[in-house]
Amino acid sequence: MRKSLVIAAFGALLASPSNAVSADINVCIWGTITGPDALVNGMSYGARDYFEYLNEAEGGIEGHKVHTVLLDGRYKLDEEQKNYRRCVSEENAVFINGWSTGAVKSLRDQIQSDAVPFMTDSHSSEVLDPKKFPYIFMAGPTYEQQILIGLRSAAKAGGKRVVIMHANNEYGRAPVEVVRKSGAIEEMGLELVDQIEFPFDTQDLTGQILRVKNIDPDLVFVQASTPQMLVVLRDAAKVGLPASLFMGNMYNISPAIPEQLGASAEGFRSIQLYADFGSDIPAMKDINKYGESNTIEKRDTYYMKGWYQGIAMSTAIRNAVKKAGGVPDDLVAFRNSVRDEMENLPSLDTGGITPVVNYANHQGPTQARISEIKGGSYTAVGEWIDAE
Amino acid sequence: MSLRQIIILITVALAVMVVLPGLGRYGAYIVYVVAIASIGALALNLLIGYCGQISFCHGGLLGVGAYAAGNIGNAGQDMVVALVGAGIVTAFVSVMIGLPALRLRGLYFAISTLAAQFILEYLFRLIEPWTHGVSGLLIQPAPFFGLDLSNDRGYAAIAVGLLVMSLIAVSRLLRTDLGRRFILIRDSEIVARGMGVNVARTKLWAFAISGFLAGMSGGLLAFTSRIAAPEAFEIALSVDYVAMIIVGGLGSLPGAVIGAGFVVLLPEVAQRIGETFGAATQTAALREMVFGLLIILFLIHEPRGLNSLASRAVRRLRRTSGPLSNNKRSSASDLEMTQARL
Repeated sequence: MRKSLVIAAFGALLASPSNAVSADINVCIWGTITGPDALVNGMSYGARDYFEYLNEAEGGIEGHKVHTVLLDGRYKLDEEQKNYRRCVSEENAVFINGWSTGAVKSLRDQIQSDAVPFMTDSHSSEVLDPKKFPYIFMAGPTYEQQILIGLRSAAKAGGKRVVIMHANNEYGRAPVEVVRKSGAIEEMGLELVDQIEFPFDTQDLTGQILRVKNIDPDLVFVQASTPQMLVVLRDAAKVGLPASLFMGNMYNISPAIPEQLGASAEGFRSIQLYADFGSDIPAMKDINKYGESNTIEKRDTYYMKGWYQGIAMSTAIRNAVKKAGGVPDDLVAFRNSVRDEMENLPSLDTGGITPVVNYANHQGPTQARISEIKGGSYTAVGEWIDAE
Repeated sequence: MSLRQIIILITVALAVMVVLPGLGRYGAYIVYVVAIASIGALALNLLIGYCGQISFCHGGLLGVGAYAAGNIGNAGQDMVVALVGAGIVTAFVSVMIGLPALRLRGLYFAISTLAAQFILEYLFRLIEPWTHGVSGLLIQPAPFFGLDLSNDRGYAAIAVGLLVMSLIAVSRLLRTDLGRRFILIRDSEIVARGMGVNVARTKLWAFAISGFLAGMSGGLLAFTSRIAAPEAFEIALSVDYVAMIIVGGLGSLPGAVIGAGFVVLLPEVAQRIGETFGAATQTAALREMVFGLLIILFLIHEPRGLNSLASRAVRRLRRTSGPLSNNKRSSASDLEMTQARL
């Protein structure tokens, strides 16, 4: 019995890549299925589900079934590097959708030499450069642009003094440094009165929040993920600061915030890049149709991001297949063609998830809007603001 | 390690290198990740398994090696120079971390290494000119003895070669007076002192040698991942390495390799089994729990780790394949006793 189990395990290890060969078009996705960022992994499920939806609703892309592999990167560099190699050389993916900033930074030269189109879930400006990294594409404004959008809205509302809080990792510190050094804050007529760094795995920020209370700013922009934002808002309520004083980035639109904090979260604002799950947009009809016969793992704005990424990637693949009159036998040529088509995407309709976009800038949409927690759920409180 | 075992080891390594070109990039990646982890686990096993100095800062030491190798490589040096340099720098840092061991023992020393881990993590973020802070140090490919081996198969060959050299070197070391002094200190510091062993100096040698190997392992990791970032060398990595040597077998050379292979490959095997049964997401969520349970089971039922299980399996295989002569039986039994002692 034990011997059979061992043989089965190794058999599975060796045999499963062969699944990839039978499909015409292979797409590979990795996200944090388990790990510290798992709260926002709806984007990986969303992208996978879009390709599955295409298979079910349209028989794939131009009649070719899409084989989609979803892997767990666990927010660990070595795991993500392993996934990348599997996607490139075992799954023969024509498009890869990968997760963390660190992984994309370490892989960016290899992505270039492998010449494989890569949709990054990271919004770091360090991996966005159509000339230096012509195969890397992003799904919206960079973290820096999101900070600027947030601060701009504060300036527009008459705010003068701002505090920026951020986690002590790259995701937290790097974008803030870029914005601070750019002089953009002063150009908006704002004064950065304090910059407070805290541990990424923090459980208590009472001391830091008391510091904020003493400063009495007009806005506190927090560059962190949802778990840290929960701590910030909890401790703010503890010392009597309203949630409306705080603003977060795209990774703070999580149902976990109003669910766990209740009334203490009322008035908290976030940068919203994608439509809410369940909003009245055309894409939602497709999602609901898919959900009738499948399980939707996450029902949040990150799932919408993934769905939108699926739309963008599949449109480029479709255009490449159309152009070649079928799926090219030469994978290298196919990947290059998909990259070119991605870059030349005309005004792409994302079914209302984002404003209409094109990918000449490798970034897609550059707009965002502010979303506020009202009555226990996020509500868009303004029009789309262009970061540029 | 006998001459016969060394020959077998080299033959296996050569066989792996011959097979490498046919493995593909993914296969080659798996080979070098396991080989690099094995070198790191071997370094930690030397310290904990053979010298009895419990350390929880191995992840930090790998980080020191990674940053050192990255900086030397980025300065235009050959990878060999970078790896040796990383080994020397890390050996120095390891000795510094080992200094409290001259006054502290057991759990108290383990806590001091934990503190060292946190200090190293902090320094990785702080010393920006050397580490590039939270952004991490991007590392350029470096030639290996002037050859361009900066691809997955090349790295796999280098890592396997270094692993074999490390295994042979450590096994030879354990047969020297110094190696025997390590084991004596592990078994009883009081007896070691009574026998005239300079305990302080011997411990520092263990830290230096272990640090050198950890530095080379970290250096290789840096060249293969092309980045050294603080988040990659946190306490979780140190715990992974302790798990490797517990699962593989404390105080056993093959145990370090088996444990490293087990810890590195377990997520992959879980993923593939999940995919085969259409439940990859579920197995991904269960993986950490299964890993933790396995460690508990090993600690309870087989504290000597997978290596001991493998030895028993080999003996059973021999028994089923034919009766052993009395001489062979006794030499097998001697081997088992020696392994148990080690």
